[in-house]
Amino acid sequence: MKLISKLTLFVTLSKLAVVLLFVFTLPYLIGGIARDYTDSYLRQQKQKVLDVVAKDGVNTYLQGEESYGSYTMLKEEYISLEPVEKNFEIDTIYTDERIIEQDTLNYRVLTHAFRAGEKKYLMEVGKTIDTIDQYNRPLQKIATYVLLGLILFTLIIDLIYTRFLLRPLGKIIRTKISNRKFPFNENSDPIKTTTTDFSFLDTSLINLMQQIHEAFEKEREFTANASHELMTPIGILQNKIENLMGEPEVSQMIQERLIGMQRTLNRLKRIVHSLLLISRIENDQFSKNESIGLKELFNDIEEEISHRLSEKEITMQVDITKAVLLKMINRDLIFQLMYNLINNAIRYNKQNGSIRISDKLRVDGSCAITISDTGMGIPVEDLSTIFHRFKKANKSEETGGYGLGLSIVKSIADYHAITIDVSSEVNEGTEFIISFPRNLIE
Amino acid sequence: MKVLLIEDEKTLAYEIEAFLKKAFYICDLAHNARKGLEMLGMNPYDFILLDLGLPDLDGLKVLQEAKKLNPDAAYIILTARGNIEDRIIGLDLGADDYLPKPFSLLELQSRMQAISRRKFNLNTQEITLGEFAVDLQKRIVSHTQREIELTRKEFDLLSYLLLHKNRVLTRMQLSEHIWGSFVDDDYDSNYIDVHIKNIRKKLNVYGPTEFIETVRGVGYKIRKH
Repeated sequence: MKLISKLTLFVTLSKLAVVLLFVFTLPYLIGGIARDYTDSYLRQQKQKVLDVVAKDGVNTYLQGEESYGSYTMLKEEYISLEPVEKNFEIDTIYTDERIIEQDTLNYRVLTHAFRAGEKKYLMEVGKTIDTIDQYNRPLQKIATYVLLGLILFTLIIDLIYTRFLLRPLGKIIRTKISNRKFPFNENSDPIKTTTTDFSFLDTSLINLMQQIHEAFEKEREFTANASHELMTPIGILQNKIENLMGEPEVSQMIQERLIGMQRTLNRLKRIVHSLLLISRIENDQFSKNESIGLKELFNDIEEEISHRLSEKEITMQVDITKAVLLKMINRDLIFQLMYNLINNAIRYNKQNGSIRISDKLRVDGSCAITISDTGMGIPVEDLSTIFHRFKKANKSEETGGYGLGLSIVKSIADYHAITIDVSSEVNEGTEFIISFPRNLIE
Repeated sequence: MKVLLIEDEKTLAYEIEAFLKKAFYICDLAHNARKGLEMLGMNPYDFILLDLGLPDLDGLKVLQEAKKLNPDAAYIILTARGNIEDRIIGLDLGADDYLPKPFSLLELQSRMQAISRRKFNLNTQEITLGEFAVDLQKRIVSHTQREIELTRKEFDLLSYLLLHKNRVLTRMQLSEHIWGSFVDDDYDSNYIDVHIKNIRKKLNVYGPTEFIETVRGVGYKIRKH
C-alpha cells in the first residue's frame, strides 16, 4: 500500500474513533457535570439555611410547628425540616423518589442532620432530576455537531496537508526511481522541498546514480580507449609481418613462423574488435532507424555462412513464414546478432546435425524467432553466465572462440530492447528464443 | 602514381611507405597535418592517404583543406577511430574510401587499385592469365571469348591473388579480404582451399591453371610474368 493511502486511512480511522468515543461518553460526561453542579448548588442552599438558623434560630422556619416544608410552584425544588433522634447523624447527597402532593418525582436530595438548641433536626434540600437533565440533551446535540464539524474540518486539513507534504516523495519516486534506466545517462534536477528527510533522500539518490553513471562511464571509456590504443600497435605488427612475408629471401620455415604470428595477431585483433563493438553499442553510436525483412535477413546470413554449414554437413531449415519487417533497428547489428547465434549453433553442433529457425507472432504483437540446434548443449549451471564477457560454456580447445560472441549478442539485444531466452539440454541441443517487442515490428 | 601519406604514427607510416614503394608507387610522408597540407600545396599527388587522428588538426578539417588544394586526387581515410559518423562525414566530404585500422596492406593496395580503375580509368583492359582473360571492371573471367561462371567470392579470391601476383597470400589474408570482419580464426581459412579447388575445377575445363600455385604451409600465389 502506498504511504499516502496508509496515512489517509490512518487519519480517517483515528478521527472516526475519536468521534465514536466522544458520542458514547458525552451523555455520561454531561450528566456528571450537571450532577456536580447540582450538588454544589444544594450545598449552597444548605449553608444558607444553616446560616439563617444560626442567626435567627430554627423558629424562623418552623414558626412554632413541629416541622417545616416548602417547595416551588412547579415542584422543581423543595426544602423540609423535621425533628429527629438526638444521636441521629447524616450528611449526604443521593437520588431518590419523593411524593409531593400526590406527584412522585425523582429528586437529587441533600440530607443533613443538625442541632438547633436542644433539638436535632433533619434538613432535606431537593432538586428534580428533570430540571437537572433539562439542558443535557440540547447540549449533547450541539456538542456532537460542533465536534463532527471540527473533526471533518481537521480531517480535510490533515489530508490536504499530508498530500502536500508527501508530494516531493512522489516526485522523487517518479523522476528518480520509476522511469530511470541503467546506467542513468540523463541528469535529473534536485526536488524542491523544505522537508530535510526528502531532500536528503533526493540528494543521496542523485549522488548514488551519479556514482553508478560515472563508474559505468569510466569502464566504457576505458574499454573504448584501451581498444582504440591497441589498434595502432596491432596494425603496425600486422603490416610489419605482411612486409616481411613479401620479402623474396624469407625462407619457407620463417614464412610458416610468420603465419603463426599472424594467426595470434588475428586473434588479438578480433578480441579488441569485439570489445570496441560492445563499447560502441553501449555508447549509443549506432543509429536505429533502419528496417529489414526477416526473410531477407536470414537469406543474407545463409549466404554468408553456407560454407561453414557444408563443412559439418549441417542442414539448416529456415521456416520464416510471416512477412515480418523489423523497423527502428540497426541492420548491421541485427545481422551480427543473428549471425553470432547461428554461428554458435554451427560451431557447437555435431557432424550431420541440424539447425532450425522459425518465427512466431505472439498475441501481444511481439515476434519471436527460435533458433534451435542439435549440438552439445549448455549445462544448466552455465546457462546464467553465457552472456558474460570472456565466459564460454564449452571450454574445449577445438571449438575455439573467446567468449565475446554472446556478449555482443547481449549488447545488441539490450540496445534494441530485444529479449533473449535460452533453454538447453546437454548432448541434445540448445534453443535461443529472440523476442522482438511490438514497437520494432512494422 | 604519387602518394602522400599523412600519418603521425611513424612506425606505421614507414611500413606503409615500404610496401607502397615495392608496389611501384612514389610515396611521400608527412607526420602532421600542417606538413601534409604544405606538401600538398607544392606537389601534385594522385593518392592521399589520410589518418584522421592527427595531433595538430582534426582529420576531417584536413580533408576539407586538402580537397581545396588538390580536388583531383583520390582520398583514402585511415583511422582507428572507426566511428560510424566519421565514416559517413568522411565520405560526404569527398573521401573515396575509408579503411579502419588495423588494416592489411594488401587490402589498402586493392582499394587503391579499385579507385584507380574507377577514378582514373586505369587498368581497364583485360588482364591475361595463361589462356584466360580477366576483366576486373566487369568482373568477368573468359577463355577465348567464352565467359566462365564464377561465384562472387571465387571471383574476389581470384582477382585478389591476381592483384598481388607473384606474392604468396596466406589463407588468413585471403579470408579477411573475403569475409572481412566476420573472419573467425583459422576456422575460415580452410574454406579458402575449398574455393581455390572450385576455381581450379571450373577453369580446368577450358585450359591449364598452373598459374595458381599452392605454396605448402603458407598459402597461394598467382605466378605471372
